[in-house]
Amino acid sequence: MAKVLMKGNEAIGEAAIRAGCIHFFGYPITPQSEVPEYLSRRLPEVGGLYLQAESEVAASNMIYGAAGVGVRVLTTSSSPGVSLMAEGLSYIAACELPCVLVNIMRAGPGLGGILPAQGDYLQATKGTAHGDFNLIVLAPSSVQEAVDLMLVAFELAEKYRNPVILIGDGMIGQMMEPVEFPEVKVGKPLGPTDYALTGCKGRERRIVNSLYLDAQKLNDHNEKLKAKFELITENEQRWEYYNTEEPFDVLLTGFGMMARICKTAVDVLKGEGINIGLFRPITAKPFPYKPLRELIDRSKRVLCVEMNMGQMLLDVQFAAEGTVPIDFYGKAGGIIPSVEDVVEQLRAAIAKAGGSRSGK
Amino acid sequence: MIMEKSAVSWEPSERLVMIVGNYGSGKTEISVNLALKLAAAGKKVVIADLDIVNPYFRSREVGAVMEAAGIEVVIPPGEQQYADLPIVVPRIKAMLEPAGEDFSIFDVGGDDVGARMLSSFRQALASGPYSLLQVINSRRPFTDTVEGCVKMMRMIEESSRLKVSGLIVNSHLVDQTTVDVVVEGYELATKVSKVSGVPVEFVTAMGTLAQAPEILALDVPIFAIERNMLPPWLRTGEKQDSAEERPENVPAARTKPIFRS
Repeated sequence: MAKVLMKGNEAIGEAAIRAGCIHFFGYPITPQSEVPEYLSRRLPEVGGLYLQAESEVAASNMIYGAAGVGVRVLTTSSSPGVSLMAEGLSYIAACELPCVLVNIMRAGPGLGGILPAQGDYLQATKGTAHGDFNLIVLAPSSVQEAVDLMLVAFELAEKYRNPVILIGDGMIGQMMEPVEFPEVKVGKPLGPTDYALTGCKGRERRIVNSLYLDAQKLNDHNEKLKAKFELITENEQRWEYYNTEEPFDVLLTGFGMMARICKTAVDVLKGEGINIGLFRPITAKPFPYKPLRELIDRSKRVLCVEMNMGQMLLDVQFAAEGTVPIDFYGKAGGIIPSVEDVVEQLRAAIAKAGGSRSGK
Repeated sequence: MIMEKSAVSWEPSERLVMIVGNYGSGKTEISVNLALKLAAAGKKVVIADLDIVNPYFRSREVGAVMEAAGIEVVIPPGEQQYADLPIVVPRIKAMLEPAGEDFSIFDVGGDDVGARMLSSFRQALASGPYSLLQVINSRRPFTDTVEGCVKMMRMIEESSRLKVSGLIVNSHLVDQTTVDVVVEGYELATKVSKVSGVPVEFVTAMGTLAQAPEILALDVPIFAIERNMLPPWLRTGEKQDSAEERPENVPAARTKPIFRS
């Protein structure tokens, strides 16, 4: 298929269709409104359903219902809207239903602003809502990767019967890049659907429910969810190493679009003969601790750069286990650290690490 | 050597130039390029950012660069410029009346939603001519067919209550644009022109493509454009973190123009 020029938000909507998802429930919010906008035009063309809910709370319960009847379903929002969806997500995870949520993050906290940020990393990976459950969290750094990961998102959601969230900052949603799409998949679920409520005539009744009044049964259910996430952790970690073939003193880490700016910073210093390694998680959860640790063990110092006040930083610290000093540089509110800002932080880290190894 | 069909090989026929089109068709890049090139040719230019639809990648982001080139840039005041609100400052309406400037350029928001803003100008525009130019990129969703482009034209005309007077071909894939993509866009626009009766004003071409023989051979003006709205990873040598130099009440994110140096 020929390349087309698309905004991240439009591309995410089209990718969902290509993944066989023709059901969308959501509510507009800047900077992700082009997803519902795009799908409101496209879904009727492919015989799908687009429904604008009365609120994000309602939308999250609509995807709960759609997933419960075995339909491949998507919702998208931005930071404050995702907070409103928290309750529904806990229920969906508790009921082990597959669905995909996209958070095109804007600057917070509170109503915050409408410019790009990465302030919902901890919300997505650690504290989405009440109770013990885990989302699978994917973090693309380009429009094409957002498309590719949308396909992965639906696959993982159905393989593990678990909600998957794709997080991108507002820039990923708004910027335009050339993209290629795969052909449309048949809209049938990828995994078994023996949980789905399809009408029980001729078979045993199924119940989708997250209420367990019996303590032992609820404990067992929690154990089951825990075991499932251990399996996901074992099988589904994704990450990228950049410029890590040669020795380096300082390791740079970042995710999403910030990692892309970091790459340019690595290239700038490489041009001066200074070698910096870069680690980027693609699955923010399960976080690739071991692959990161392997690079940390080769470095004297780590610099973590994010568009927040230090969130993935906690995972980097966890991976390092105190073995090397970790510097953090972050901006929030819609300010995007520039290539030059990152280069300056890297120079300071190199100085603290005591010189640098040459890239040659 | 082939004589370059330079930027000013196309000049608007009217003082009032309104750039419309679907989301992401390239309205802002074209508006900014047009303003800068007309100013470089010694023209007095005013540009208004009328994008009420989308808070990202608007012409106000390159405001400082345009102001340095002597262009008057009309945007909502203070913090409001970072909002996605329908704010129309009085200066915008005043731009409709001739006041010494050679050209008034309106960078309008996307789709029919963005163009609705223009409907309030209808009475003021009834007395004089204007150019309402629709930007077409054949690689964008919904405007990759003749039907799609004509539908977009009708939607914009309905919501703006004005008539599209010309087409701008802006087919591209950013840094992956080929000659074929540009020519494909020209061919699509030619068909749209036949159906609608609206003429093709010019074809844009970025960088070296503006020198390609196949593109220069097209029977319409070629408008060479530069990419001003660069993503952050392509902007090097530019510090964002400069709190101490920041004028009061101006967010750091926009004190530096987003512009290729």
